[in-house]
Amino acid sequence: MSPIDRRLLIHINWPLCGLTMILFLCGVMNLYSASGFRMGEGMSVDAYYQKQLIWGCMGIAGMICMMFFDYRHLRTAAWPLFWLTIALLAAVPFAGKTIYGARRWLDLGFMSFQPSEMAKICILILGARILSMEKERLGFLKLFMVLAIGLIPAGLVILQPDLGSGLSILLLLGGLILYRGLTPRVFKTMLVLVPSLLPLAWFGLHDYQKRRILSFLDPATDPLGAGYHIIQSEIAIGSGQFWGKGFLAGTQSQLRFLPEKHTDFAVAVFGEEWGFVGMIALLTLFCVFLYQIVIIARDPRDLFGSYLAAGIFFYFFWQILINMGMVVGLMPVVGIPLPFISYGGSATLVNFCLIGLALNVSMRRFLFKQG
Amino acid sequence: MTNLYDSRGQQPPRSGLILLQAIILALFCAFALRLWYLQVHKGEEYAEKAKENQLRMEPVFAPRGLILDRGGTMVAVNEPAYALGLVREDVKNLEDTLAHIAEITGAPADKLLDTYKRARKRVKPFEPLLIVPDLTFEQVAAVESDHLRWPGLEIVIRSRRYYKFGQLLAHVLGYVGDASEDDLEKDSSLALGDYVGKNGLEQVLERRLRGAKGVRQLEVDATGRRLSETMLKKPKSGEDIVLSIDLGLQATIARQLEGKSGSVVVMDPDTGELLALVSAPSFDSNAFTAGLTPEQWKGLRDDPLHPLQNRATQSVYPPGSVFKLVMAGAGFAAGMLDPRETAFCQGSLALGSHVFRCWRKGGHGSVDLNQALVQSCDVYFYKLGMKLSVDRISSFAFAAGFGKPTGIDLPHEKGGTIPTRDWKLKRFGEKWTKGEDLNFAIGQGYTQVSPLQVARYISAVINGGKLMKPNLIHGDPPVVQGRLPLSETQQAIIKKAMVDTVEDPRGTCRRILTPGVVAGAKTGTAQVVRLTDELKAMPEDKIPYHMRDHAWMAGFAEQGDRRVVVVAMIEHGLHGASGAGPSVKAVIDYVFLGKGVGPAPDEPEAPDNDE
Repeated sequence: MSPIDRRLLIHINWPLCGLTMILFLCGVMNLYSASGFRMGEGMSVDAYYQKQLIWGCMGIAGMICMMFFDYRHLRTAAWPLFWLTIALLAAVPFAGKTIYGARRWLDLGFMSFQPSEMAKICILILGARILSMEKERLGFLKLFMVLAIGLIPAGLVILQPDLGSGLSILLLLGGLILYRGLTPRVFKTMLVLVPSLLPLAWFGLHDYQKRRILSFLDPATDPLGAGYHIIQSEIAIGSGQFWGKGFLAGTQSQLRFLPEKHTDFAVAVFGEEWGFVGMIALLTLFCVFLYQIVIIARDPRDLFGSYLAAGIFFYFFWQILINMGMVVGLMPVVGIPLPFISYGGSATLVNFCLIGLALNVSMRRFLFKQG
Repeated sequence: MTNLYDSRGQQPPRSGLILLQAIILALFCAFALRLWYLQVHKGEEYAEKAKENQLRMEPVFAPRGLILDRGGTMVAVNEPAYALGLVREDVKNLEDTLAHIAEITGAPADKLLDTYKRARKRVKPFEPLLIVPDLTFEQVAAVESDHLRWPGLEIVIRSRRYYKFGQLLAHVLGYVGDASEDDLEKDSSLALGDYVGKNGLEQVLERRLRGAKGVRQLEVDATGRRLSETMLKKPKSGEDIVLSIDLGLQATIARQLEGKSGSVVVMDPDTGELLALVSAPSFDSNAFTAGLTPEQWKGLRDDPLHPLQNRATQSVYPPGSVFKLVMAGAGFAAGMLDPRETAFCQGSLALGSHVFRCWRKGGHGSVDLNQALVQSCDVYFYKLGMKLSVDRISSFAFAAGFGKPTGIDLPHEKGGTIPTRDWKLKRFGEKWTKGEDLNFAIGQGYTQVSPLQVARYISAVINGGKLMKPNLIHGDPPVVQGRLPLSETQQAIIKKAMVDTVEDPRGTCRRILTPGVVAGAKTGTAQVVRLTDELKAMPEDKIPYHMRDHAWMAGFAEQGDRRVVVVAMIEHGLHGASGAGPSVKAVIDYVFLGKGVGPAPDEPEAPDNDE
């Protein structure tokens, strides 16, 4: 059997493929504007959009690679992958590179990479494997076992310190657990327990993290400091009004009032220039995109595929929710990018690869019928 | 391979799938609502905020109007001044920078810090704060040569007022100074560091001189860098003012008054324009624009000769015999004076137990009005005063413009005093006495007038009875403030008597007699203290300076169509003729004979500031 025959191609979820491309192109176009800034009467554009295009091409290559093999092999690889990740995470404190005061990177000679990215994917695969074997909703014991598996890499990442990635791992796993479902008793208990434990986490936060949360609750307390991001971002989006200011015409971004405008706050540039209409269109694209992943999870070849798709769903869902929530002022400032819209090389690569994995699941959904 | 197909045939969890779809829906609804709120509901508000971020308004300074004398010589100009600006956002270490400034300028560092703290509130981000308002060239050079080491320091070029004749015109022009907190409060168009007129014409004509600031719209980015600018409103220069003052005449008089305290007013009787207004001693207006040190200010304020006082408008004195010209008017106005009627002067007049003396012990004999004025006979006017009594005298004096400010465009003018029965009752709680009528009649007692008021009255006598508003601005339309209640004949009689005072051999003003010029005048001697017998016995040059009488001379001169009114008042000048006469003579010589000193600037021209 050739790895990809015609029938496989037919069963690829083409809408998801197309939506991914559209979102990516929207992102590149928006990046062109976001990396521009006014100098006197002229305009100067940083090369972010070009770099993003190159990363995108690599990402598409990676996406295709992710479709060639049968995803079911990942089940076998899940545990070895997990141990490798733990080893790498454990190596970071000793061999890692320090950037911006945090030791998160491993230098492989030809490139640097963050084992925390790898940890997310490995938890996705391992979580899908473990939970797809559960025939019943999870009781207390099972829940704690699954959580314990996730807490090991998450804890190591948080210690780096990289709270954002650590929480992402837990959120991803939490999403998968909810997908599997909890027994009503466990569900109710967690409903009470988790919110009441959250305030305890406050004491574990760094000062800058506390400031971010406080300034989210009331941006006016520190308008030039932590609140600045939120205020300027809301001004950017709000001033776009119904129809937007037009491509390259956003003053908040062109005059650099908007911070981090090509990375975390890229979507604010979009909102300023394309207005309510553009934002609703983008939001709709993202929702349909997520729905396509849900369809993959609904009609899989096997449960492992379904859970893989659900994991991929949560991988994107949390990022969209947290990033957009931050940009429109519904969530505190956390350094999480918006998939396909924010600039970021390795993130783009990983996003495309995960879509490739989702497509892999969708194209093999009828495979069992041929025996 | 079988391992791979473990879960084949099992259905994905239904509840999970519902959950995924539900959270997609929730995501969409939550964000759609939030976006609608931000972009549609509050969109306009945010659009406004984005504009505020991007566009800044900046004032554009309007040059203050120039001031010229009537001959076109510039007397108040604007010249560039260099201030040291500090942009806080660019300064790395404030303490070190202030220490560096202290080193360059010699100003104490703690004072600089104080200035900084006070000014900080009023300065916008990236706007230079004027930490040192005036720098010398050496200091400018020191700042510029080192500017790479001290980011945030910059030289700000401002316009500074410079008075080319700072001493000569100090009382006319006044001076400008930095707008005080008070000024800023009262006038919202002012900003910190603006100059405003603080005295003289600079203060009174502030509105005309200041002009209107323009507004420039700057487009800035988040770092405050200027991207483009648009002039929204052009600045409107202040109005140039041409003074009625003749600089040459002013200088001639100032030269003549050197070493004395007093004032001279020269007025065009027909228009009210002042050709000269000199008050001595004077001060230098430029000292104020540079910023007085507390010691300098104390020195000026506590100087026993009061150089800041404008003696022509802010000092009032008893008019002495000059008041006899008013008495003549009062007599005519009351219809109780026949100029041909004579009175006999035997050197004194007894009223009750008190004896009122004429200045001439032997008496003037029989004098009519003309001779009474020419020889300044006191007894004649004692009798007139008795006849008229206080009510008629003061009523005419008020009509002649005494007892209230003239309304000249100079601040803090004094109105002087014309006593009335009510006034005395209110002031002293006593009734007016008959004897006071007599003192009133010869310009002693409570009466106080300013030299400017006298000049206006003399003008009215010779211009047909019009009380003109004294005017310092050439070409401003003449303002008639009132009319003397005198007929032309009556005016002519008074005028004739003044001319005779100069021309008659017995006249008191013979020293201003000038060939080819018709001049008329009246002297006056105002007692400063009631002379004791001891003082009277003293030779005049032994009397202590501050007890000597003030000397007045008020008069006019004409030649053809040209005529001027001159009033000279020399403090402690002893006698009208000898004390004040030379000043009047100097004016006549300048105006009609062309004799005088040219104006000399008090200081050499400002150094050439171009680098």
